This record gives sequence, structure tokens and C-alpha cells, in this order.
Amino acid sequence: MAAGVLTRVTQVLRGPRLVSAVFSCHGQTFSSAAAAVKSTAAARDTAATEKIQNFPLTQPDYFRLSELFTMKDLFEARVHLGHKKGCRHRLMEPYLFGSRLDVDIIDLEQTAEHLQRALNFTAHVAYRGGIILFVSRRRQFGHLVETTAKECGEYAHTRYWKGGLLTNAPIQYSPGVRLPDLIVFFSTLNNVFQQHVGIRDAAKMNIPTVGIVDSNCNPSLITYPVPGNDDTPVAMEMYCRLFKMTVNRAKDKRRQMELLKGISSSV
Amino acid sequence: MASLCKVMFNVSPRTSLLPKHSVFATLRSLYSSDASGGDDKSPERVKSGFAAAYDLHSDLRQSGDRSAAVRVSSRDETSFTSLLRHSALMQMGPAKDKIVIGKVFHIVNDDLYIDFGGKFHCVCKRPSTDGQKYQRGSRVRLRLEDLELTSRFLGATTDTTLLEADATLLGLIESKETKAKE
Repeated sequence: MAAGVLTRVTQVLRGPRLVSAVFSCHGQTFSSAAAAVKSTAAARDTAATEKIQNFPLTQPDYFRLSELFTMKDLFEARVHLGHKKGCRHRLMEPYLFGSRLDVDIIDLEQTAEHLQRALNFTAHVAYRGGIILFVSRRRQFGHLVETTAKECGEYAHTRYWKGGLLTNAPIQYSPGVRLPDLIVFFSTLNNVFQQHVGIRDAAKMNIPTVGIVDSNCNPSLITYPVPGNDDTPVAMEMYCRLFKMTVNRAKDKRRQMELLKGISSSV
Repeated sequence: MASLCKVMFNVSPRTSLLPKHSVFATLRSLYSSDASGGDDKSPERVKSGFAAAYDLHSDLRQSGDRSAAVRVSSRDETSFTSLLRHSALMQMGPAKDKIVIGKVFHIVNDDLYIDFGGKFHCVCKRPSTDGQKYQRGSRVRLRLEDLELTSRFLGATTDTTLLEADATLLGLIESKETKAKE
């Protein structure tokens, strides 16, 4: 019977508010002595589930993402190269180290911190079973982004963004459609050098965003901006690899924790 | 050490030499007490002239070595500023008329897309001489004109960028030649 309770718990894992409702109605329908045993097993399961969900939030770097990249890796992937001074966006000035012969150089010390935070957030979202959407409108890297999403079991959107994709989803798709819990922009501009519509729409729908912002992008609406180069193939490959490893690491950790919980509850 | 320094500053400049000797004599006594006690000279005897200068310089050299060792280990070879300073792009200077080596990474009919290590690639026409030798992965010599083709047009707030660099193709790097030399 504990196994049955366990499957019900895993099914409603994505909606933690439903768990308490299910168990409260269970408590009302059963009135025999067996109900006491079931409710304690249920209580233990909810406690274990809560512990699995909440314990990683107490650690600063639970998934040890700082070992995924070093300053030298970022440098060799040409992440510090920005556009020319004339293309600079005013709001990117705090993230720039300086300008050398009209070429903006992005400060990699700040980039490393921002990247660490963004990867940590992505890992936590993936750990809790969230849907991640990778977006890029750069035609040069469309295939790369799509293969990245495929390899980590998440979603990608590298084609034309229809107007009401997020804001009009219940009508354009179906009434019960689930929107992504995190949107990762590998390039925040579209092909006419305007800000991608998805950034504004995600902000409207309360969806957090992670975005690689180059020196000509606007970082203001993005939740976790990562200042860095988004034009060189080496840099894009590095970002894709990092996000893929993060998501895979988080999902593997979740599977591991679920297995441990299954072993400990059956014992 | 701080108290010894304070003593030195309080003394008037005319008589500064004598207290210095006493300071370094006491320092030497401290060091000799820590080291082996095989020193013949008694710690009370004040050294002068060459002996004092020798002591002074040996102490300075010892302290200099120690601080240099600390400095080398604390200086971060992989910090962003040191990496940037020693990078080829910084050492190169202005990109105009610099010769670089690039690699062809994509070909579309007669257009060669060449990556030379900058932010953008450059696109060059396949030359008439040795045209078929330029394949994906061949290394070529380029003369750079500009790292990024940008221009501010009338009525625009920011520059318009072509997302490309500008370079002239000079020729292939002859790999067979280098093999023959070896």
C-alpha cells in the first residue's frame, strides 16, 4: 500500500499544493485502525518529499557547478569580446571591463559570477521537474541549440516566434497547456537587432529568464543576465555544453534522491 | 619589530647611526638564538663598517626572498586581467594591415568563411590560383582590415553591424613545405 501512496506522490510531485488535498480527503474517508498506519506512512512520505525538494535550497552550490567552468575556459571561448563601441547599449556599461581600440571587452570576473548564479538557478529548476525552454533566433546556431535541448530532455524554440505564444497560449494551443518554468535565451536579439519578443512576454507571464547578453543587448528585463559574447561559435558551443551538463546533473541528482527515498520508505 | 622602529624614529638624526647598529645587533641576536649556537662573536659586540653593511644586506635579501616567494604564489596567473593583457588580440594592437593565420570552417560555392580567432569570421572569395586547394580545415594567411564591420547611418541611434570581419586573403599555409623542411 505504501507503494501505491508513493506512486500517487510522484504523480502529483509537480503540484505540491495538491498533495495535502489528496491526503486530507484520504484521512476523512478511511476510519479504521489501518487508517492510522496509512496516514503515518503518508506523513513520512510527505516529509521525505519536502526534504528532497527543500534541502538543496539550503546549500549555496548543491550541484557543484563551479567546477564546470574556469576563467581560462571562458577566456579561450572568447566570451569577453564585445561589439564595437558604437553598438554598445547604455545599460551594458556596468558589465564592461573597458574598451580597447573601439572594441568593448566584457568583464569576465562579473560574467563568471552571473554565469554561476544562472547555472545554479537552472539546476534547481531542473531538479524540481521544471520545463526549460531554450530560445535563440540566430540562424547560425539554431541546430546547435536544438540538439542541446534534445540531449538534455528539454525544449527549444529557434524559429519565428508567433505573437501570442506565451500570452495567448490557452487559445492558441489548448486550455490546460503548461508554460515553461524557465526560458534560457542564448541570444536576446532577433534578426533585426531588436529585443526578442519572448523576453517581454516571459516577464508578463512571470516566467524567469536566463539570457546571454552581449554588449549591444538590453539586460533589464532578464532575471539572470549573463554578460558574454553570443556571436562566436566557440562561445555558443561552450554555453550549450554548460547548460546541458547542468540540466543533466540536476536531473540525475533528482533520480538518485528519488531512488534513495524509495529504498528508505520500503525498508 | 614595531617597537624597535619607534625607537629609531624618536632618536635625533645625528645620532641615528649608533641606535641602528644596536637595533640590528639585537635582531641578529634574535636570529642567532633561533639558529645553531655555533656563533663565535658575542651578541653584545656592536659591529661597524663592512660587517654591519653585510648583515644589513643579508637580512634584506632574506626578507626580499621571502616576500618574493609570497608574491609569486599569490599573483594569479589565470586572472582575467593577466589573461587579457597577455592575449594575442591585445598584443596585436590595431587590426589594420596585420597578418594573421585563419582556418576555413565553412564553404558556400566560391565564398570561404574563415575564422582567425577574433569575435567574428571573415568571408573571402575563393582565389583563382590554387582554388581547389581551399577546403574545410585548410589554414590560410590573411591581412586584416577590420575586426567588425560597423557603421552609423543617418538617423540611427546605434551602429549597424554586419557581424563579420574584413580581411584580404593572402594565400595558403604550405603544410607540405614545412614537412619537407623537417
